[in-house]
Amino acid sequence: MTNNPFPLSRDQLLAAYRTMRTIRDFEERLHVEFAKGDIPGFVHLYAGEEACAAGIMMHLTDIDRIASTHRGHGHCIAKGVDVHEMMGEIYGKSTGACRGKGGSMHIADLSKGMMGANGILGAGAPLICGAGLAAKFRGDGGVGITFFGDGASNQGTVLESMNLAAIWNLPVIFVVENNGYAESTSVEYATAVDSYVDRAAGFGLPGVTVDGTDFFAVYEAAGEIVRRAREGGGPALLECKTVRFFGHFEGDAQTYKAKGENDFNRANRDCLKIFASRVTAAGVVSEAEIALVDREVASLIDAAVESAKGAPLPTPRELLTDVYVAY
Amino acid sequence: MTPKVGIIANPISARDIRRVVASANSVQIADRANIVQRALAALSACGIEEAVMMPERGGIASHLLRSMERSSNQGEARFPRLGFLDMKVTGTVEDTRTAARMMASAGDVAAIIVLGGDGTHRAVVSECGAVPIAGISTGTNNAFPEHREPTITGLATGLAAMGRVPPEIAFAANKKIEVSIDGGAPEIALVDVAVVTDRFIGARALWRPETFRELYVAFADPEVIGMAAIAGLVEPVTRAEAGGLAVTLAPAGQGAMEVRAPIAPGLIETIGLESWRRMPAGTVHRPSLAAGSIALDGERELFFDPHQDVAITLIDRAFRTVDVSAVMRFAARQKLLVGGLTAARPLENAHS
Ligand SMILES: Cc1ncc(C[n+]2csc(CCOP(=O)(O)OP(=O)(O)O)c2C)c(N)n1
Ligand SMILES: [Mg+2]
Repeated sequence: MTNNPFPLSRDQLLAAYRTMRTIRDFEERLHVEFAKGDIPGFVHLYAGEEACAAGIMMHLTDIDRIASTHRGHGHCIAKGVDVHEMMGEIYGKSTGACRGKGGSMHIADLSKGMMGANGILGAGAPLICGAGLAAKFRGDGGVGITFFGDGASNQGTVLESMNLAAIWNLPVIFVVENNGYAESTSVEYATAVDSYVDRAAGFGLPGVTVDGTDFFAVYEAAGEIVRRAREGGGPALLECKTVRFFGHFEGDAQTYKAKGENDFNRANRDCLKIFASRVTAAGVVSEAEIALVDREVASLIDAAVESAKGAPLPTPRELLTDVYVAY
Repeated sequence: MTPKVGIIANPISARDIRRVVASANSVQIADRANIVQRALAALSACGIEEAVMMPERGGIASHLLRSMERSSNQGEARFPRLGFLDMKVTGTVEDTRTAARMMASAGDVAAIIVLGGDGTHRAVVSECGAVPIAGISTGTNNAFPEHREPTITGLATGLAAMGRVPPEIAFAANKKIEVSIDGGAPEIALVDVAVVTDRFIGARALWRPETFRELYVAFADPEVIGMAAIAGLVEPVTRAEAGGLAVTLAPAGQGAMEVRAPIAPGLIETIGLESWRRMPAGTVHRPSLAAGSIALDGERELFFDPHQDVAITLIDRAFRTVDVSAVMRFAARQKLLVGGLTAARPLENAHS
């Protein structure tokens, strides 16, 4: 194919699809496995929101840091955390990314710049200001990105961090993944300043809203915002309007959603379907290539679940190892 | 009963990438509510007793209702009765289209005040039929709505809606450009249609001149911002005259000439230009690019593949707008807003 009309090469397009497919299959599989009762703690699934993580993380390297949320599996995968280690962690096994002591909401891998999922809403925002300050002092061109939901956007920590990032001109990006709900509370009810772009404007930061189910919209906007931050252009906010296919956590009866809402979203707002149909219709990637990625990802997830189930639990003697870190 | 005035205020305009790739600002939600309030006060001053508004969940209505309640608590009756259309809110541009359609079919809406950028105005025009619109700019690319204090737009709309100004003075005819792919239902642009090499919609806005190939404009004013500025700087075309302009673009350095054009707020780019020619109404133009996307009023909206047929046609006298400046000049001449207990007259000669 000589004429590629997309802002990514063919290989990059396939890589983006692979990331989104890996996240989707990872989450769909956890949905099934969690119901069997072998997974400790809570899991919050990211299915439906894949284009946000993939579209943003395509612009980052390992020197760039992210601070994630309670719904963090997609961020981890897109940032390059090993899928086997993630699955091991979620099963609480010693093969996990944090040796099985963190679980779903505390997966971290500093070697990949993934500073951690986080069970505390809005806690990633101050952390990423620290990462941004470090990058600025080092002068290495690294950026920091904090993800938070529409609900977490109302945490004081997020607002304080926007102020801090603005006055110190940090290479920090605030990404609101607006999936319309915080647990069961709708965003319209809970947010007094109705636009995140207005909110950013209140701190003098530019803000952009994009359709978070369109990979290309996220990719393009994130590309400009990340470049700007790397060049010293300062912090910005990106709102991705997205959808969550599952409940808030596994086991949520979702009585607050409209009848047919999930089916509608799966039929019309599935970022993987939208992406695949666009790149195949343009003739840049073939349907066979998409199908091959699907098969490879399916076997990766099978293998990850298999090995996580078979892996040993941490022993009582390891109770205090890897828990506190001395700097 | 006096005629109603419709109000469509879009809470989601001016949120796109131009805040980062250019220096576009955004009118905050509370300010948009305040603008509606100013326009409502003006409508009431002209005798309009009822206004009907598009419902939304972006916060404009809730701000507005709070402040109208405050003012009625204080015993002020400065606003028309405000009703909301009974429609499902989706939070997308579909709401704007639905509202415009409902206002047009209601039969008692004499004019629609629109708050938004070119995109919002385009959505209203696609559905409002013969009902005239009065635009107030709160979007990013504002080549279409004129910049003016909303109170004045409200006064002019109120006077026109009340029939106090003859229609041939109160309302102006406007052009539009239709784009149809494979003979399907046309999409429209009010200002410009750009053909670019991207084959995806992405972040919608246009800011990379190397992708620009063709441009069709309904009017080209050297004072406007956006793609139409390119045409406006080589051959201005007014809103009122018949026909538009078709311009062949090229990547900078590859065209016959170059123009430095303000394609977005604070963003002045060098654009390569091959040639341009008048675009008479009713003649179908077909892009020479085999595949790409089409931006309507500065936002990529459609993409087309090599096997598809794209038809671009300018339509004269396509829809009506309230001619605010003509109405206000008429109002002054005819003393429409002037009254008095005694017959006051201007001093004819201060010295006599
Ligand atoms: C500080 C704090 N308050 C409350 C909670 C409980 N809680 C966990 S997730 C959640 C809703 C989060 O909604 P949102 O930020 O929109 O993210 P989403 O779950 O939609 O991804 C709440 C209230 C918490 N974890 N931390
Ligand atoms: Mg949420």
